[in-house]
Amino acid sequence: MTTPLTLTASRRPDGTTVLTAVGEIDMSNTRSLAAALDDAPGRLVLDLTEVEYLDSAGLSVLFPHADRLELIAGPLLAPVLSISGLTDLTTHH
Amino acid sequence: MSAVTRSEDGELTIPSAAMDEVFTADRNIGRELARVDWSATPLGEPQDWPQSLRTAVSILLSSKFAMWMAWGPELTFFCNEAYRRDTLGQKYPWALGRPSAQVWSEIWDDIAPRIDTVLNSGEATWDEGLLLFLERSGYTEESYHTFSYSPLRDDGGAVVGMLCVVSEDTKRVIGDRRMATLRDLGSDPSVIRTEQEILDFAGEQLSRNPYDLPFTLTYLFQDDGSARRASVTGLGAAHPAAAHILPADPAPCWPADTPARGESVLVPLDGEPFTGLPTGAWEKAPTQALVVPLLQQGGAPYGFLVAGLNRFRALDEDYRGFLELVAGHMAAGVASARSYQAQQRRAEELAELDRAKTTFFSNISHEFRTPLTLIMGPVQELREQLADAEPRVREELEAVHRNGLRLGKLVNTLLDFSRIEAGRMQASYEPVDLASVTGALASVFRSAVENAGLDFPVECEPLPEPVYIDRGMWEKVVLNLLSNALKFTFDGSIRVSVGVQDDGAVVRITDTGIGVAAEEMPRLFERFHRIENARSRSNEGSGIGLALVKELVGLHGGVITADSAEGEGTSFTIRLPFGSAHLPADAVRAEAGDDTSPDAAAPFVQEALRWLPSERTGVAVGEPHRVPQAVGEAPAARLSAQARVLIADDNADMREYLSRLLRGAGYQVHAVDDGQQALEAIRADAPDLVVSDVMMPRLNGLSLVRALRTDSRTASVPVVLLSARAGQEASIEGLQAGADDYLVKPFAAAELLARVEANVKLARLRNHHARWRTALIDSLQEAFFVCDEDGAVIEINTSFTGILGYGPEDLPYQPVHPWWPDAATDPEAHRLVAEAFATLTGQERGSYTIPVAHRDGHRLWVTATFNQVQDPDTGRTVIVGTFRDVSAEHYAIQRETALAALSTRLSQAPSLTEALDGSLEELKKLWRAEQVTAVVFGPRDEPALTCTDTGLVWQDLPAERRRMLTGLRDQPALTAVPGQGEATVVLEHPQGTLALWIALGEQRPFTGEDQLLLSLLAGHLAQGLARAHQIDQQRETAIALQRAILGPSRLPDGFAVRYEPATRPLEVGGDWYDTVALPDGRIGIVVGDCVGRGLEAASVMGQLRSACRALLLQDAGPAQALMALDQFAAGVDGAMCTTVFCGVLDTRTGQLIYSSAGHPPGIVVRPDGTTKLLEDGRSLPLAVRPGRPRPEGSSTISARSTLLLYTDGLVERRRRPLSAGIDRAGEALQDGRDTAVDDLASAVMSSLAPDGGYDDDVALLLYRHPAPLEMSFPAESGQLAPVRKALRGWLDQCDLPPGTAQNVLVAAGEACANAIEHGHRDAPGDTVYFRAEASVDNLRLTIADSGRWKVPQPERNAHRGRGMGLMRALMQQVTVTQGPAGTTVDMHTRIA
Repeated sequence: MTTPLTLTASRRPDGTTVLTAVGEIDMSNTRSLAAALDDAPGRLVLDLTEVEYLDSAGLSVLFPHADRLELIAGPLLAPVLSISGLTDLTTHH
Repeated sequence: MSAVTRSEDGELTIPSAAMDEVFTADRNIGRELARVDWSATPLGEPQDWPQSLRTAVSILLSSKFAMWMAWGPELTFFCNEAYRRDTLGQKYPWALGRPSAQVWSEIWDDIAPRIDTVLNSGEATWDEGLLLFLERSGYTEESYHTFSYSPLRDDGGAVVGMLCVVSEDTKRVIGDRRMATLRDLGSDPSVIRTEQEILDFAGEQLSRNPYDLPFTLTYLFQDDGSARRASVTGLGAAHPAAAHILPADPAPCWPADTPARGESVLVPLDGEPFTGLPTGAWEKAPTQALVVPLLQQGGAPYGFLVAGLNRFRALDEDYRGFLELVAGHMAAGVASARSYQAQQRRAEELAELDRAKTTFFSNISHEFRTPLTLIMGPVQELREQLADAEPRVREELEAVHRNGLRLGKLVNTLLDFSRIEAGRMQASYEPVDLASVTGALASVFRSAVENAGLDFPVECEPLPEPVYIDRGMWEKVVLNLLSNALKFTFDGSIRVSVGVQDDGAVVRITDTGIGVAAEEMPRLFERFHRIENARSRSNEGSGIGLALVKELVGLHGGVITADSAEGEGTSFTIRLPFGSAHLPADAVRAEAGDDTSPDAAAPFVQEALRWLPSERTGVAVGEPHRVPQAVGEAPAARLSAQARVLIADDNADMREYLSRLLRGAGYQVHAVDDGQQALEAIRADAPDLVVSDVMMPRLNGLSLVRALRTDSRTASVPVVLLSARAGQEASIEGLQAGADDYLVKPFAAAELLARVEANVKLARLRNHHARWRTALIDSLQEAFFVCDEDGAVIEINTSFTGILGYGPEDLPYQPVHPWWPDAATDPEAHRLVAEAFATLTGQERGSYTIPVAHRDGHRLWVTATFNQVQDPDTGRTVIVGTFRDVSAEHYAIQRETALAALSTRLSQAPSLTEALDGSLEELKKLWRAEQVTAVVFGPRDEPALTCTDTGLVWQDLPAERRRMLTGLRDQPALTAVPGQGEATVVLEHPQGTLALWIALGEQRPFTGEDQLLLSLLAGHLAQGLARAHQIDQQRETAIALQRAILGPSRLPDGFAVRYEPATRPLEVGGDWYDTVALPDGRIGIVVGDCVGRGLEAASVMGQLRSACRALLLQDAGPAQALMALDQFAAGVDGAMCTTVFCGVLDTRTGQLIYSSAGHPPGIVVRPDGTTKLLEDGRSLPLAVRPGRPRPEGSSTISARSTLLLYTDGLVERRRRPLSAGIDRAGEALQDGRDTAVDDLASAVMSSLAPDGGYDDDVALLLYRHPAPLEMSFPAESGQLAPVRKALRGWLDQCDLPPGTAQNVLVAAGEACANAIEHGHRDAPGDTVYFRAEASVDNLRLTIADSGRWKVPQPERNAHRGRGMGLMRALMQQVTVTQGPAGTTVDMHTRIA
């Protein structure tokens, strides 16, 4: 049983891919997140606004893509993102 | 060396052209200069030299002062004859014509700057005594030079060279240096010192000249031929060359044998042990040392000096001479130290010899006295008995007697001398009229002088001032002089005169005797000097009399002189100063003493009389102390009863002689060997008189007298001391010690008898009163005693001995008195006596009752009364007291007290066992028994034993005792039976027959009274035990019940409960608590308190509790449940007025609905520290108004608040409002805000407990919201979401600040992920345990798994390392504990 997580890819008018995640991200579902990230080439906006939980397993999937990621996250995830140092590598809102 | 070669063959090859006239000023040097190949020098051939150079050379050569010069660009070297001789040495003639820098290469560094100065500035230099190391004598040589460099100018006036005028100071500088050392060596300010001090001083001086003496060692020869190092300078004492001891043969290091023969020897310092030697003032160590003997005049050398030599000076005559002088100095020092030591030793030996001689004299003189007594006594008796015997016998007897007297006189004189020499002559100077004293002494001699047919004018007019004399000494002076005059005077007169001259008294004794030859006069007063062949009345004489006279006069601060003309007579003149300023102050008495008759005169007069022809004396010789005796009646017979005399003397002859003498006189005599025996004999049975020698082993006569006088029973026993020590000071000492009389050996028998009789009579008279007093006191019924001020018992009567068993023979009894109870075995009784004793010596009068021990050991009680009084004789405080035996009365009172004590003990005992234990203790105390044993023959096979000796069991008892105790069962109950040192009684114990056995002390009788009391007590005991048994049974049932019905077996999470029975007496009560799990996470809570205690209350409580529980389970609300309970309680006896708090808590929301039946309010303490009391929903206690509706209250237990429910025992205290207790309970909850609930329950119970424990029972229930979250889940990643959900819900309940919950969630998630991923990699599906608990300010998470985490490897597993980092960042404290059972993560965070 994996933790519920919905991943929706979309494209902005400028052509940038936007990946919107809804749910929780933990070690049980990082694989699907990784696959979604791999499937979206080039610059990528990852919208985590609706994500309620993100742990180090999720972070480890995000790090390899840090160079091309633009993160959108709510205050709930802010401590984890900043402690892990991911916000130093990515653009974020 | 090329210079040498040149000079050797130089003579033969003088180039004639070279002998320029410029060199002719000195032919020797000139010749050598002429040989120089000048063309090879920058100066060129001499004929071409400028005039200025030629002039300079000419001046140089012609000077007799040492000079050298340098000229030209190479500073070519010239010198004159004087310089060659003094300084150049072996460098001549090689140096001539060479560059100066080459000639003086070794000192060029020193002189080049000076030369440059001269050449550049044209100014001369001046150096005085400059140290230069020259190589002129085949070695590097220390040399000192005073020199001046001045410029030399060429014809044009330019400076082209320099001239050096030198005078060498080497000899002066070195000579001064050595002189200084020698002067210092002689400068020792102290006159005489020890050998070592002298050598140390010398070493110090030598070390100040490290130039000539880089190091020195001083060795002294010892008796065995080895040499000991006595001093070392410049060299470490541990250096191998500084050996401490040089064995005789062969000496290592230094050749000691050579100096031992008085010769010096030069030692090369090569190889071991001479490596690493010090360098002294130089840069290099010595290469040689000179060993110089320390010569002793007319004897073998004392030792030797090793001097390390300055390598920069040759060992020439001067150097050698210097070292020999140094050695000579040291030898002289050693010689003077040794001779001083020897002198001192000799002086000490002489003083010792003198002391020994004096001791010998006094001892021998003392030794003479006892045999003298034993000769003179019997002789005196014989003379009396043989008064009518034939003349020949009488004459021989007289000769014995006469010589005995002479010997005695001689011994006395010798003793006087030894006393004077030892400074022990204890003079006592008193002011007297010297004229009358001297006149009286002269009168003693009158008959003898007149019998000799001589005139005897005595001119003694009273003097204007008193003269201080020691009477005894003065007697000896005058008598000796008179006896001397009589001895040598055959015609004419002996004149005695006393007068005044020059502020002093003059006593003159002039005779017209044979006179003294002029050549003998100087030795007249010399000891043991006798004038040979002088005509005299007797050949007797030791030549000691005049010498003693001179000493004695000297002691008086006077002088004695003699004038004499041969054939005309002799005149002795004594001058004594008036006043006492010249005498030692402590020996001067202010008043004249008794004018005692001159004891010493008799031997002198008798001796003198014997010189005279007997027909001229007309009287029988001797019998100086004849005592008149009534014929046929012994002295003792004249006394009313036969007097008893104790003789103490260590000399058996003397003992026998005295015994014979006294028995003969009718005394009853007992003789002992020493003072100690005498003391014991006197204490046992006091005699009428004691005759004791002074000198005795163990206890001497003086000590004996002192011992007798300090003891009131013997204080009045008269003592006559006999002593060999003559002189007033000895007898004063004896009398001061308390002797009644004092006789000096030798003494006459008659005198002894007379004194014994007088003393016995006097004592009888004196003692009559004392005997009467003793009889009176002994007749008293009560014990009588007298203590001195220190508490020592010094007198007792016969009743005292009767009661306590201690007799007068061992008086005095010093505190601690022997009848005190033993401090070790009976400390209490000992303390009582000690306290009483303090009042005895501390108060004027008083009375006390104390336990004491009879001499045979048995205990008795006495009541003593005492008074302080003044001893009329001594003025000291004594304590007089009486006491009587009050043991019987004492025990009677004690028994009554004990009966009361037993009753109290039984009534208070909380259990049967304690009742029996306490009773046995009381019985033991009552009879002061050794042991009390109770045996219960109950239902079990083995009897149950209780004993005052705790720990004893039935099997420990001896078989005989067991038999005896078993046999007691047949004895009639409650009848005490006395036995030998024991008593028994049988009584009924709730568990069977009880046999009681009391082991008494051996001496104590068990009286009829005791039996009665024991029977009485046994009855009492049986009743008491039965009652205690009943109480026991009740309590046991109650406790069992309470345990059975109290509390749920498992408490819901978040709750803690406590029940504590009342402390004293340990009793259960009617308090209870309960929790009931209800559907939907609700929990019913009940705390109640039934009225009353014990079994009854417990049973009511049980019914109410069960009823309430049932009601709640039927889903009744709190009010509803209590109303139903009202009805129930109305039908149960004792249930009325029970108070109950009943509530239903929703653990999810914290909402509590409650109702209180007269119960104290619950307390809620919130996280912000505020306290809320649950005071709503209150109504009456149960069953007071059955059917009446009850209200309900509602309150929400907010997150991290704590709820406390309790019964009144927790907070109710006498004389304090309930609210104070409730406040305290609230504070206790506050204090425990960070404590887990179960620990908090213990903390509240203990912090509110009164001193001595709760006096009512207490039930307590605690809940903190929310309850801890506990989960277990399989280690699978799919579990993470549900776990998070549950945790999120619980965190919501905790009401945490924003952010904290998410942080906790992530940290917990990471820990769980770790547990799943790593802990159970190999065994997926194992259980992970999760717990979260909140206290008021703290949140704690525990995640435990059964696996082992992998050591983090960040590079391979970056996100796991990140996980740990997240945990640490999000929580305040993270602890990971790995063990064989698994891994536990413990995390804390503060709730801000």
